[in-house]
Amino acid sequence: MAQLQNLPDELQLATEAHVKYIQSLDSRKDEYEYWLTEHLRLNGVYWGLTALHLLKKPEALPRDATIDFVLSCQHENGGFGAAPGHDAHMLYTVSAVQILALIDAFDELEKRGKGKAAVGKFIADLQNRETGTFAGDEWGEEDTRFLYGAFNALSLMGMLDLVDVDKAVDHIKACANFDGGYGLTPGAESHSGQIFTCLAALSIVGRMESVEADKLGKWLSERQLPNGGLNGRPEKQEDVCYSWWVLSSLAMINRTHWIDRNALFGFILRCQDTEKGGISDRPGNMVDVWHTLFGLTGLSLLGYPGLDEIDPVYCLPKSTTQRILGSKE
Amino acid sequence: MATHGIARTNRSRTEEQRQQDLDKIQKYRDLDDQIQSHVKQSNYSDPALFQLTTKILRLNPEYYTIWNVRRRCLISGLLSKRSAGLWRSKASPSTSRSVTTKPSCAASSPSPSAATPADPATSPSPKKDGESGTTPEQGEENTDPKEKEENDEKADIAADTSIVQAELAFTIPLLIEFPKCYWIWGYRSFLLSLCDAMLPAGAARDFWVAELALDSKMLTKDRRNFHAWSYRRFIVSALESTAKPDGDDGSGDGSTATTKSMTESEFAYTYSMIKVDLSNFSAWHNRSKLALRLLDERGADDASRKKFLEEELELVREGLNVGPEDQSLWYYHQFLMDHITAVGAHAGAGEDKETKDLIAPNLSLADRREFVDREVTEIKDLLEDYDDVKLIYEALLEYAMAYRAMGVSDGDTANQDEMMAWLAKLRELDPLRRGRWDDLEKSLKAR
Repeated sequence: MAQLQNLPDELQLATEAHVKYIQSLDSRKDEYEYWLTEHLRLNGVYWGLTALHLLKKPEALPRDATIDFVLSCQHENGGFGAAPGHDAHMLYTVSAVQILALIDAFDELEKRGKGKAAVGKFIADLQNRETGTFAGDEWGEEDTRFLYGAFNALSLMGMLDLVDVDKAVDHIKACANFDGGYGLTPGAESHSGQIFTCLAALSIVGRMESVEADKLGKWLSERQLPNGGLNGRPEKQEDVCYSWWVLSSLAMINRTHWIDRNALFGFILRCQDTEKGGISDRPGNMVDVWHTLFGLTGLSLLGYPGLDEIDPVYCLPKSTTQRILGSKE
Repeated sequence: MATHGIARTNRSRTEEQRQQDLDKIQKYRDLDDQIQSHVKQSNYSDPALFQLTTKILRLNPEYYTIWNVRRRCLISGLLSKRSAGLWRSKASPSTSRSVTTKPSCAASSPSPSAATPADPATSPSPKKDGESGTTPEQGEENTDPKEKEENDEKADIAADTSIVQAELAFTIPLLIEFPKCYWIWGYRSFLLSLCDAMLPAGAARDFWVAELALDSKMLTKDRRNFHAWSYRRFIVSALESTAKPDGDDGSGDGSTATTKSMTESEFAYTYSMIKVDLSNFSAWHNRSKLALRLLDERGADDASRKKFLEEELELVREGLNVGPEDQSLWYYHQFLMDHITAVGAHAGAGEDKETKDLIAPNLSLADRREFVDREVTEIKDLLEDYDDVKLIYEALLEYAMAYRAMGVSDGDTANQDEMMAWLAKLRELDPLRRGRWDDLEKSLKAR
């Protein structure tokens, strides 16, 4: 890592600026964008908080207020919406569970929330018992993002036995393509985001045997473009968020060395706003908390110095998943 | 909160800009507050709530809760009780869920059973002609209560149809502006599930046909939009499951008159997309998904399967001759080559990968060697014009290894020295992936 210390200033990680940027996110109520993105608020808390943990500033957001907000998003049926008054959905329920995992607050669900059992039931009820996949909510949109989310949250709560794991695994296998990748649904084109969700779901239940690691590894490594950034599909543009989807997938099949680490470091670091904090999709663009997190997780997975270690399966710090799940080794 | 492709600007605003923002926020929050207060009282049948959702969705179509509110408005007031009831009973999925509001999982599932035609016995056709005779044969003019009931039902269907049409029209400009918004696509599939539930099969089918046309339009605007490609497969599978097998469908789209399947027309569609843009991997991907089904449905014999492989290889090669740096083409080429080199190599790769999953399962070893030899020769020819394109060396190595794995002990298409030379080229041209080349070298030397 010696050569990284010699990088010019703009290629050093602007830790302090990023912490301040994330802390400032909830004080932007006079910006229209703040309100237009309310449907992502609970995800946003998860993104920001995880980023702060990676930056080793876990206390930078107040714990009590975080728990209060999370619980204020919960519905009677156990599910969570994006913000108070927003409908319950898998995507936010998973974020809620991840946040509570991160700050070691599952007990608050029993004390002040609807209880862990209700959360587990909300998630499990969304499984399509015929095909094994999961819907996002009562309206029934199905895709592998929800299946992964269900496995992620249920396993953190120790409640995977509520669902039909074998059927779900069969469904993932049905989403596999000739190039080794996975799509949104059976028949859909391979996409890095969906590859992450499928591999991580298989990892959670220890069912990686059907993964064509060499073939998939080739496809994933070809996502790196000459500027060091990664794209999500063949012949598409690079984007910082794929630093996570592609890299975590490579990590799950032990092939992160199939891309150039320093080139990716450089690309992610060039996407920073070193002055005001935050990371954007590409150099020179507007930053947001989503790209900030996935830039940092990418750096962490590649072992950037000074960052906490990320778990490629759960997208939580390893210290968190080890505390909850124990060491898998 | 997830911005893409917007240039970073000075984030400070003038006082005037700040004031403008505050005004916009005020209006937006006011709309939201009004909606929330209706929702708290479960006032879904109030048309005012529906109007409010229109306003806020035009400002922010990502606000998923509002799409749900809009759905509830439709099924709890705006649509007739008949349609809402039919939708609820249709929408109850095969899953054993205990959610209180019935999930409509079937509505967005691409499984063929997802979109079964409405029961003709309960949905008399509002159309004057072209429909199978489900309209009751009662010609009397008097106001017999049964007839009144039927007339009311017709009026309900007509009114509900225009509501759904208006809803579909409402989402089009939003979809065009936000083509990657999951919720809009999901809402449209909900509208189509309504059509299936409340309309006679033929009339519902017209909506799906129109939806396919819209989807094609979306794909001309963005050829790689994976939402639109997924949605396309969903529409096609619904259309296939509702087509009348004997062709008495009478809807006039006679192209599928004798078959339910749309595999031929969809396969042709991928070709039309590829012709416009060789780099469209989404189209190549779909082609790969349709190929086996196409051959099965054609009842293709061994000779025509072999010919199919030849023609497909030729199609990709034409592309490679002008764009050998295009990954899309190489992936499709690899897909075809996998089908040629797979037999034997697949033994042990999982019991479900049987020869029946191959394009030409009965190719002889000699045929297969001939195929590989020809492709390798062609690819080597590419090097004359493009000796600095790394994907060419990658393919050569890949196929040389597959050739070995076919179990041919002698007469390899490439010898070890040649393979090591290609690997050296890869190292030189593609240093980003040197870790991969290191691993490859180890496995080559291990032989």
